[in-house]
This record gives sequence, C-alpha cells and structure tokens, in this order.
Amino acid sequence: MDKFKRALGGGLAMLLSLATVSCGGGGDTVAPSSSGVTTVAAASNVVAVTVDAGPDSASAPTINTLYTTVTVCVPGSTTECQAIDHIQVDTGSYGLRILAPVLTLSLPVTVASDGNSLVECTQFVDGYSWGPIASADVQIAGESASSVPVQVIGSSKFATVPTACSSTGPAEDTVAQFGANGILGIGVFEQDCGAGCVNSAAPGYYYSCSQTTCSPIAASLASQVLNPVPLFATDNNGTILVLPSVAANGAASVSGSLIFGIDTESNNNSGTQTILTVAPGSSQTVLPGNFTTVYGGQSLSDSFIDSGTNGLFFNDSSIPACTSSNFTGFYCPASTLSRSATLTGVNNVSTTVDFSIANAQTLATNNPTYTAFSTLGGTYSSSTTTFDWGLPFYFGRRVATAIENHSTSVGTGPYVAF
Amino acid sequence: MLSRSGIGQKYVYLAAALLVAALAPQLARATLGEPETTIAADAAELKASVKSTEQTNYRVHEIQLPSGTVLREFATVGGIVFAVAWSGPAMPNLQQTLGSYFDVYVTAAKAPHAGHRHLQVQQDNFVMQSSGRMRAFTGRAYLPQAVPAGVSLDELH
Repeated sequence: MDKFKRALGGGLAMLLSLATVSCGGGGDTVAPSSSGVTTVAAASNVVAVTVDAGPDSASAPTINTLYTTVTVCVPGSTTECQAIDHIQVDTGSYGLRILAPVLTLSLPVTVASDGNSLVECTQFVDGYSWGPIASADVQIAGESASSVPVQVIGSSKFATVPTACSSTGPAEDTVAQFGANGILGIGVFEQDCGAGCVNSAAPGYYYSCSQTTCSPIAASLASQVLNPVPLFATDNNGTILVLPSVAANGAASVSGSLIFGIDTESNNNSGTQTILTVAPGSSQTVLPGNFTTVYGGQSLSDSFIDSGTNGLFFNDSSIPACTSSNFTGFYCPASTLSRSATLTGVNNVSTTVDFSIANAQTLATNNPTYTAFSTLGGTYSSSTTTFDWGLPFYFGRRVATAIENHSTSVGTGPYVAF
Repeated sequence: MLSRSGIGQKYVYLAAALLVAALAPQLARATLGEPETTIAADAAELKASVKSTEQTNYRVHEIQLPSGTVLREFATVGGIVFAVAWSGPAMPNLQQTLGSYFDVYVTAAKAPHAGHRHLQVQQDNFVMQSSGRMRAFTGRAYLPQAVPAGVSLDELH
C-alpha cells in the first residue's frame, strides 16, 4: 500500500495520474499483449512506438503513455549522436523537448536576435518547463532534419527562472515529473508559438538570457521550437499513428507504429478515412487545433484528439466519479459503460465514435502491472466546452494528423482523419 | 445562489480589500478578490488594451494581453474582482491574476491529478478550472461567495 501511494505521490507529471504498481520483482503474470488490427511493415518512414511503464518504471510508472526513440546529433556530425528512448509521442504539442539530465551531447544553444541565448518558458496547465533552445540534427527511422531548434528542459546553465515564467505554476523539469525522457510534439502546427511570438516579446514564452539576467524577446518562426516532421526532406506533410486495439481490461504493453507522411508512400495512403479539419493557428473564436464534439446533448466546441492525454476526459454527471483519493478525477462506474459521441470538424464533416468507460480503480487493482487501458476516462473541469480524446481513442485506429498548410491527396491541414 | 452569510462574506472581502488598498497601494492589483481600480495601471504595465462593459450587476474588463490571450476580469458594482477568465495561446500571469489564491493553485498542480491537460480546484471559497494545451489555453477562477446574486456561472467566461 505504501508503494501504491508512493507511485502516485510522484505523479505530478504529465501523464502519470493513475497509479500502477510494479509487483516489485517476482509475481509476474502472464498478461495478454494487445492484439494487432493492422500491422505496419518496416520501412524508412516507420518508427516503432510503445506503451509501457516509462523510463522510471520502478518509482514513477506511467499509464497510457506512448513512447518512441529519437536520435539527436550535434549539427553536422555523424559521430556525436545519441539515441534517446522513452520520448513521448504527443500530437497535442509541437517540437522536440529533451530533459537535460538524459542528454549526453553538448548541443549549441540558439542565439537570440540580441546576441544572447534564446531560452523558453513552456507552459502547461499545471506548470511550466524552463530551458534553452538548442540546435540538433534529428533522426527518426529513416527520416532526418538538420539543425532543428529543440528545447533542453532543466538545463543547469540557465537555472534562474524569470518571475513571469515561474508565475505560471510549479516547475516540471525532471524525468519523473514528465514520465518521459522528452517529448516529440507532432501535432497539426509547425511552431510551438507561431505568429504571436514573432510580433511581440510576450512574457511567458521566449527569453533572451545573458550570463546574469533574462528578459522576454520576440522569436522568429524559424527560431521557435519546431515540429520536426515538416523539416524532413520527404514524408513531411503529417503523420499516421497506428495502434492495435486493447482488451477491455487493459494490456501489459502495446506496440504500434508511427508512419511519417500522408499519401507520400505506399504505406500511408489516406483511403476512405473521415477527415475532420480543425481550427487554424490564427483562430480566435475556437482555439487552434480544436473541433466540436456533441456528447450527451452538449456541443463541446473546444474538443481535441491528443496522444499526450492518458484517458478520455469529458463531463458526464451520470457516471460515478472514483471516491478513492488515489483515483481523483477518474470515473468509477459499477460496470463498464458504452457511450457514443459525434465529432464534427470545422469543415462540418461529422462522424460517430463509440467508446467504453470502465471503473478506473478496478482496472488498476485487477492488473497492477498493466500500462495500457482503452476504457480509462475521467471528468474534465466542469463548465468547460472540451472533450479531450486521449490515447484510448488511438487504440485500434489508424489516426492521421495533417499539418497546417500542408496538403495530402485528400485535403490540406490542419486536420485529423481516422 | 447567494446565502445571507455569503452576502456578509462579500462585504468582509470588500472591507479587507479596501483596507489593503489604503495601507499598501502598491500591492493593489487587478487581482481576484481585490479592487478593480488598478486594472488600467496594470494593463499599461502589461502593454495591454482594456475594454470595459457594464452588465446589470457587474462590470467586465476585457484585457487583450501581448501574448494574444484575452483576460476578462469580472468586478462587482462595489469594485471587487470576483472572477477572472482567460482564453488564448498562452496562460496569463497566474501569480498576479490569482493573487493570494495562487498558492492554492500551485498546491493543486503539484498534487497527483488525472491527466495533464486540465486542472480543477474546488474549494468553498475558491474555484479554478484550467485546461488546454500548447497554443490553446482556456480557464477561469472565481470566488463563489463573492459572485453577485443573480449572476450565472455560465456568464463567467
């Protein structure tokens, strides 16, 4: 029990929220692995992705967190390279971020427009990550991009955090807090900030840091942390995540594929997928990247599909919430419930999605070493207009993410298709 | 719905806030639970523009922040900020916006919680709902006991 609570206690992080307990050696059970619906053959534009307990599985195990391995090199070098495992695959953010403690290379820090170092405050709903922008050659599977601006989070070189950054919440700058060695943001946009950071030195984004002080500074689009996919020479208009279905009671682990490009190779055809366009980066009415979900008679206009969320989060007062403090925020119905929602893109194309919500406490208790759950759900903050379709949505699907202003055979991003 | 004790509480807030403002004007900010009088000064400091509109029993000050995020502050006719709401590509400065309630938020953010894209703080005297992801944040915070009678929570966004 102590172990149970400790596992949760470390779970400030991004995705660790539901405790899973390592059996502490021995006691391994024969667990069903997830069954494949679609197998993707090895190819230069395909990289393996996995759901497992994460890089710190003993003390901070994760749930429903998708990882891959990314190789970074000192720009121009073929020998000063490092393959970093357990990089989280996140369609809800943009750009590559690496936790400083795992990085063994010395990457050159980007120079800001005033000659100082360019440093970023990356904001999350529950805190911030502070660290310099560095340049790296990025290789994933057979795809590569040169001199990509990436963020090195928690670097000791820039230990003093400006108040405007620290005032956004607690710091998130360790592997345990992240539940990952880094994040690969491959959502629908090219930059992590966009035009807003070009036009003004907005507090809480980019900073120019001298040896002693940091002050907000504007950052050109090219100098911002960039989604690496559009920088690839080929297969650069988006991605397709292919994950097998997961049994109702979960799976010990999941193995799937991340395919680069849409309609660029024989293995990434759009076919007859439903295409939901999402709000563009400049959108002010509906927030960028979002679309509408109609659920339970409510129209939720700021909904999104996000591999970086570990459950299906939405409000339904008819589904009992978990009462155990270890499972606050998750649903705990007496029996597994079947539900349905209609997703409507900005293009007015609609499709219906069926899903199930199981008892989170029962899921975790019955199979404490499992790391993947297709029926995990919880409440979203009340009175909001969001249905957050997290990683369970991806299980058993082939989900395409087309990047803004990039075209495929069937449309132009930003869109999601499945 | 505001109870009698809730109304009493509101005036306690008002008196306390005015006292703070009188004793230490440099501390008075356009902040939850504090007077609205410094919103213009704060906006100037933030290089932000402000648009104010009158509703039946409250005022809304809409502040366009340099980040592109819109921050709305809701003040009672007595001039106390009882709610704040934001929407846009960046989080607002929560330390300034939430004032004395910032520490409550930090404690909640550090505690284990479900998912990473949303956060809820639910206390008798302070509610915060914050959600979103990179380039798309939305949220609000309010003081349930200070919300004027007749104001629906649905209006606070």
